[in-house]
Amino acid sequence: MGASLPPKEANLFKLIVKSYETKQYKKGLKAADAILKKFPDHGETLSMKGLTLNCMDRKSEAYELVRQGLKNDLKSHVCWHVYGLLYRSDREYREAIKCYRNALRIDPDNIEILRDLSLLQAQMRDLSGFVETRQQLLTLKSNHRMNWIGFAVAHHLNSNASKAIEILEAYEGTLEDDYPPENERIEHGEMVLYKVSLLEECGFFERAFEELQKKESKIVDKLGYKEQEVSLLVKLGRLEEAEKLYQTLLSMNPDNYRYYEGLQRCVGLYSENGDFSPDEIDRLDTLYKTLRQQFKWSSAVKRIPLDFLQGDRFREAADNYIRPLLTKGVPSLFSDLSSLYNHPGKADILEQLILELENSIRMTGQYPGRTEKEPPSTLMWTLFLLAQHYDRRGQHEIALSKINEAIEHTPTMVLAEKTAVLFTKDGDQHNNLHDMQCMYELASAESCFRQGDLGLSLKKFLAVEKHYADITEDQFDFHSYCLRKMTLRTYVEMLQFQDKLHSHAYFRKAAAGAIRCYIKLHDSPPKSTAEEDNEMSKLLPAQKKKLKQKQRKAEARAKKAAEEKNEESSASGTSKSGKRHTKPVDPDPRGEKLLQVEDPLLEATKYLKLLQKNSPDSLETHLLSFELYMRKQKILLAFQALKQLLRLDAEHPDSHRCLIKFFHKVGSMNAPVTDSEKLVWSVLEAERQTISQLHGKSLFEANNLFLEKHEGSLMHRAAVGEMMYILDPNRRSEVVKLIEGSTNNPVPRNGALGPIREWTLKDCIAVHKLLGSVLDDQDAALRWKVRCAEFFPYSTYFEGSQSSATPNSALNQICKTTVNGSSSHSQGDHVVEHVSSNGKLEAFKDLTI
Amino acid sequence: MVCIRKANVNDLLAMQACNLFCLPENYQMKYYLYHILSWPQLLYVAEDYNGRIVGYVLAKMEEETNECHGHITSLAVLRTHRKLGIATKLMTAAQNAMEQVFGAEYVSLHVRKSNRAAFNLYTETLGYKIHDVEAKYYADGEDAYDMRKQLKGKQLHPPQHHHHHHHHGGGCCSGETKGNAKAT
Repeated sequence: MGASLPPKEANLFKLIVKSYETKQYKKGLKAADAILKKFPDHGETLSMKGLTLNCMDRKSEAYELVRQGLKNDLKSHVCWHVYGLLYRSDREYREAIKCYRNALRIDPDNIEILRDLSLLQAQMRDLSGFVETRQQLLTLKSNHRMNWIGFAVAHHLNSNASKAIEILEAYEGTLEDDYPPENERIEHGEMVLYKVSLLEECGFFERAFEELQKKESKIVDKLGYKEQEVSLLVKLGRLEEAEKLYQTLLSMNPDNYRYYEGLQRCVGLYSENGDFSPDEIDRLDTLYKTLRQQFKWSSAVKRIPLDFLQGDRFREAADNYIRPLLTKGVPSLFSDLSSLYNHPGKADILEQLILELENSIRMTGQYPGRTEKEPPSTLMWTLFLLAQHYDRRGQHEIALSKINEAIEHTPTMVLAEKTAVLFTKDGDQHNNLHDMQCMYELASAESCFRQGDLGLSLKKFLAVEKHYADITEDQFDFHSYCLRKMTLRTYVEMLQFQDKLHSHAYFRKAAAGAIRCYIKLHDSPPKSTAEEDNEMSKLLPAQKKKLKQKQRKAEARAKKAAEEKNEESSASGTSKSGKRHTKPVDPDPRGEKLLQVEDPLLEATKYLKLLQKNSPDSLETHLLSFELYMRKQKILLAFQALKQLLRLDAEHPDSHRCLIKFFHKVGSMNAPVTDSEKLVWSVLEAERQTISQLHGKSLFEANNLFLEKHEGSLMHRAAVGEMMYILDPNRRSEVVKLIEGSTNNPVPRNGALGPIREWTLKDCIAVHKLLGSVLDDQDAALRWKVRCAEFFPYSTYFEGSQSSATPNSALNQICKTTVNGSSSHSQGDHVVEHVSSNGKLEAFKDLTI
Repeated sequence: MVCIRKANVNDLLAMQACNLFCLPENYQMKYYLYHILSWPQLLYVAEDYNGRIVGYVLAKMEEETNECHGHITSLAVLRTHRKLGIATKLMTAAQNAMEQVFGAEYVSLHVRKSNRAAFNLYTETLGYKIHDVEAKYYADGEDAYDMRKQLKGKQLHPPQHHHHHHHHGGGCCSGETKGNAKAT
């Protein structure tokens, strides 16, 4: 480094490097300038100066200098290395890898560069490259523990676990018998456990077990040891020993359901779907009675039997389980019981049971057969439980009357507030939901989308996407950290987590949301300023003035809010690691700049590719793909999307829509002229033969056949109707008749008090929009609305008689209570709609009650 | 009602969500990753019957001081799942692991002065004692109690102000530093 310089400057050069490493950038910069004064073309100095400036947020200068330096000294590995570091700092990993490779061509044994390269290879999952680099590092420095471990992990990641075992064994061969010293016991124990887990992964259970036992004294993590041991015992079929070990584990933690499950497996009383013979139920009952004696404080031993017990025994156990929890007042009781509603007959038993409790408390203030008085709150919690029960069964009116009574009955406000908190996202914590997480943003983005605020909606969807990109980025530092810490099992688990991070539901929703925004943006681009002025000119001068004033005020408000927020965040931006840091003012708070993209469909394609890669089995992925490629006139890609839809669910109304739309569009295209057009044509011609739905049929016939198959379903009828209209707009009245001819049949359900019907609010709203917007038949839309208001009396959308759209409705009352008088609750209407929809209290779904 | 088990990496997103619902002190995902990749034995979750995370404890070992001790970074249980003893179970699990795996002498934590519910849990149920008060510890200016609990099987040390601790090159919990601690 700095070889070509005279001694004085060579020393200065060393100072630059040192200053960079110790983050004393100003000092480094001064040294660089001192050298450049004498040797203005010195490549390595120019490069290092650039790298230093990069850390001082002077990015463009940095790139210029680093490139200049490289140009002046192409044969310097320093210049190439620096160029790579620059790219790495901008997360341009592929470019960085190229630079490192060039540097290594000049200096093949440079350990620092090899190490940096290996980190990037791990990050980019260039696994064969990673193995190669790790091998080189081990060859160069085999006395370093980290190099052995790194080489082993590289092989493991590259799907060669048995090679990884060999390497770890070779490494162990280099150790003294009394290894490890006291201060490396934890790390060494972790390595042994990692090796055992590799043996297990390879299916060498016997060897794994032997190894584990042999090294027992070297494993510090005793719980980890036992969990590994029991797993191997089960795999070796040594069930009696495993059973004993599970008992030991349970005595250490009697609330771990996995231990109970393991224990049941060992004694042959485990069933994937929860089905047991009467004899098995008896044995399970006995088992859990014993366990209950042993583990008095465990809630698990009380809850698990509710899953396998039946009839009267279930009733008795449920009674014993529920009573103390109602007395205590546990809001999550219903959620705890909710899985039992999938067991035949249990919902009815629960209903009877809770009604009896309710009745007894009302009459006597006591539980049946008891003499102790219950506190007044017990009735409130019983009513709360009943409300959720009826809600679950779709009997919304009873549910609402129970919850109303609970609120009225509540003797003290404290309890009412506790209930209210359930409805308001855990009190007033909106302010605490910062931008680092996605749930809140996702909900808010979807709400903005519904309200037509495309910019803000897009901004929030993209923020969620960014959140995921950041998590991917987060792993970088751990590639070297974990090799030192030896937390290898967790490290490998983390890499696997990262590999499927983008298939997470929140990401999928955010990406789909962003794509929808871009599609909408493409379909109806925002008005240009000229157009806006044009609209303004239609207004009277006074109106214009008012409007402008309003706009100015809104802007000022937004600006002030942004500033206040900044102050707030800088106050809370403590220097502690992990806590958030100060953020600069958001230059685009409403996402308006995001709407000014040149090619919205191109942007959308980026996110579509992520969905195609990570969520290939989601219908939505291919629906969006279809919509996108139809707009881009990429016929073959749209056809691929269609084929995926048919593969996933050919009977889905949307799959049918795409099928008909696609071939209708193809049929209406001009005859092919160019060679490539002809080729596309012939491909489609051949492919059409393979689609059974269309085989030997016209699109009309296919459409009718689909109707015959799904005559009873509202959404299928709507899809068929919509397609009929597309194929022949003259048949509109026929289509309207088809849709209006649908019937909302009652769903047969045991023991239900009120009638539950098939149609959901969401579907009915979709049909309303179809009638009003697509078919443009306002009379039919109105008829539909009136009809649906009957089915959904609590719906504000259909202005049902009980909805908050009408004053003094029951629901209105509840909402007044539950939103805690907060007028800023702009989503109020939206929440109401969800509560009333199909009773699933959808707004709560994310609340993890 | 809930399963108390060691957390794995796949729980971290849900833990972060749980934290956002419950507490004003929030952390970026990298901080969760840092914990689990440093001390995988010290993170526990409470999982409800439907597989949702309703509580967690995030803990670490303090490596900068010469007396080996654990620290509770964050503990949360959803409001809907309180009164079930979940926090106690989570804390006990983490404390046991600190002592057993890392040989911790004691465990420390910070709690808001105004948070009576948490304070009662720590003092009455879990046996923590006030060690110190840290003025304006929280971003909003509130003071924190610096609380400690001596772990069983460890002999009692006179309370030491942790600001005066010497900083060693090696981490705590290594035999070397432990030896030093005993020698002093």
